[in-house]
Amino acid sequence: MAHRLTVILSQGQSQHPAKRELEENLVAALLMERGIDVVVIPHLYDLQADGTGVLALQGVSGHLVVASWLFERATRWTLDRHGVRGQVGVSLLTSEEDEEDEDDVERAEELDAKDRVIDQRELPKRKIYCLDLRVHNNAAPYLEEIKRIYNELNTQVVDLMGWVSGSPKQEQMERFLSPTNDTAVGNVAPLANTNGTAAEAAAQDAAQLKRIEEPPGRRWYPVIDYSRCTNCMECIDFCLFGVYGVDSVETILVEQPDNCRKGCPACSRVCPENAIIFPQHKTPTIAGSAAVGESLKIDLSALFGAPVEGKSAIEIAALERDEQLLMTGREAVGLSVGIPKRQTDKPAQPKDELDRLLDQLDELDV
Amino acid sequence: MSDALVFLMGNFAASFPTDRQYAKNHMWALPEGDVIRFGFSAYAVRLLQDVYFLDWIVEPDAVVNEKQQLGAIESKKAESDLYAPLAGRLLQFNQELLSDPSSINVDTYGAGWLFTMQASGAPLLSPPEYIEHLASVWEVTQRTIKGQMNE
Repeated sequence: MAHRLTVILSQGQSQHPAKRELEENLVAALLMERGIDVVVIPHLYDLQADGTGVLALQGVSGHLVVASWLFERATRWTLDRHGVRGQVGVSLLTSEEDEEDEDDVERAEELDAKDRVIDQRELPKRKIYCLDLRVHNNAAPYLEEIKRIYNELNTQVVDLMGWVSGSPKQEQMERFLSPTNDTAVGNVAPLANTNGTAAEAAAQDAAQLKRIEEPPGRRWYPVIDYSRCTNCMECIDFCLFGVYGVDSVETILVEQPDNCRKGCPACSRVCPENAIIFPQHKTPTIAGSAAVGESLKIDLSALFGAPVEGKSAIEIAALERDEQLLMTGREAVGLSVGIPKRQTDKPAQPKDELDRLLDQLDELDV
Repeated sequence: MSDALVFLMGNFAASFPTDRQYAKNHMWALPEGDVIRFGFSAYAVRLLQDVYFLDWIVEPDAVVNEKQQLGAIESKKAESDLYAPLAGRLLQFNQELLSDPSSINVDTYGAGWLFTMQASGAPLLSPPEYIEHLASVWEVTQRTIKGQMNE
C-alpha cells in the first residue's frame, strides 16, 4: 500500500527572482508526480502560532518533506516548535561543506555522552525530511531527492528469509507464497495483484496543490534543538526578557517567543551545547548550520559602518543583552547577571592533594 | 532634483543631489522639520546593485545609538548589515520596501527612502564634504570588494 508524501514548500522572504523561480519550478515539477501532495506556505519561521499555515502543517499526519530557505536543523526545530514532529528522515542533499566535515563524527560521539532532552521524548513514527533550498540553485536535484524519498518510504522492508532458521511469521509466509512487486522503483503503475481498493488507487493519484497565505509579518524568536539541549537552564538564567520557561516536567521551552528582542541572539551565544537556533541570524552557527559554511556574497558591512569586534561570545552576548535592556528603558547589567561560572574559564592551577585523590578515584572506574 | 554633484566610480558616474545632506555610511539625509528622512546614496546603490531583500531588526519608535545595527540588506551582488547614521529616535520604516525593495534602485532619492528619524546635533556632511569623503574611501572600498572576490 503506497504512502502519500506531502511536500511542504516554505517560500523565501526575499523577492529574489532566482529564488522564486526555483520554488515555482519545483512546485510545477512535483505536480507531474503521482502520490505527492504539495502545500506552499509563507516562510515557515514567520508563521503565526494559530495561523492557517501552522494548522495546515499540523493537519498532515503522514510522511513529510519540508523544503525551506533555512538550514535543515532550523527547519526541523521550527517545526518541532509548531508541534510538527516525527522521526528524522535523512536527506542525501547535503552541501559539499558538510561532506568533508570530519568533526561531525567526533561531535556525534560527544553527543552520545550526555543526556539530551530528546531522549525523554516519544516521537511519532512518520518521517520528516528537511531540505535546504540554498544548497542547489535549480529545482532538479530537489525533485530527484523527493522522488528518492518517496520510493524509500514506499519500499516496504519485509524480512523475507528471516525465518530460515525458525518458523515464518504469517506475514512472511503470505509474501513468500504470493510475491508482489510493489517495491519496484517508481511504484507508479496501479498494482494488479494487490487487493486494489479505491483508497489505494487514491494514494497513487496525481499531485494536489494547496497554497496557503498569511498576512506578511516577520517574527524573531529562538528555537531549541532538543537533540542537543541538556536542560541545563543557562538560557533561562541569562535571558532577562522572559522568553524561556519550563513545561510540566521541568523541561526548558520557549514559552513567550514574542517577548524576544528582535535581532538579539545573545542566549544562543551562552548556550554551552549550541542548541539554540535563531534561523534568521547571519552567523551560520547561530542560524542552525551543522557546519560553518562560507557566504557566497560580498559582505559590505565594513563599508556601511560595522563596528570592529574582538570579543568573546559571552561578552558579545552581554553587550547585546544590555543594548536590549537599555532600549526597553531598563538598566544594563553587563556580565553581572546569569553568566555561567564555568570551570573552563578558570586559570589552570597546579594540582593539589585533593585533585590527585580525585584522579585516582576516576581511574578506579567504579 | 535640480543640481547634483557627481563622483566617478570607475566609469560609473554616481550623482548626488545638492538639496540634502549625507552620512558617512552612504545614506542621504533630507531634513523635514525636526524629522530627517534617510535613504541610500547613489554610491551605496551602485555597490549593492539590484536590491532583493531588506529587513529591519529594530521597531519603530526605538531610540538608537549611532552605528547601532538597524537591519540587513541583500542584493544581487552583496549583503550587508545596516547601521544607524546617527543617534536618535527611529520613527518610521518605508513599509513599501519590505515587499518590493526595487524602488531603492529605481528612485534612489525619492520613493526608495529607507526610514525617518528624529535626531539633533546631526554630524552630517554637505554634498561637497560627502564627495571629499568618497574620494578618501573609494580606494578602501575597491580593496574590500576585490579582496573578497579573490577569496
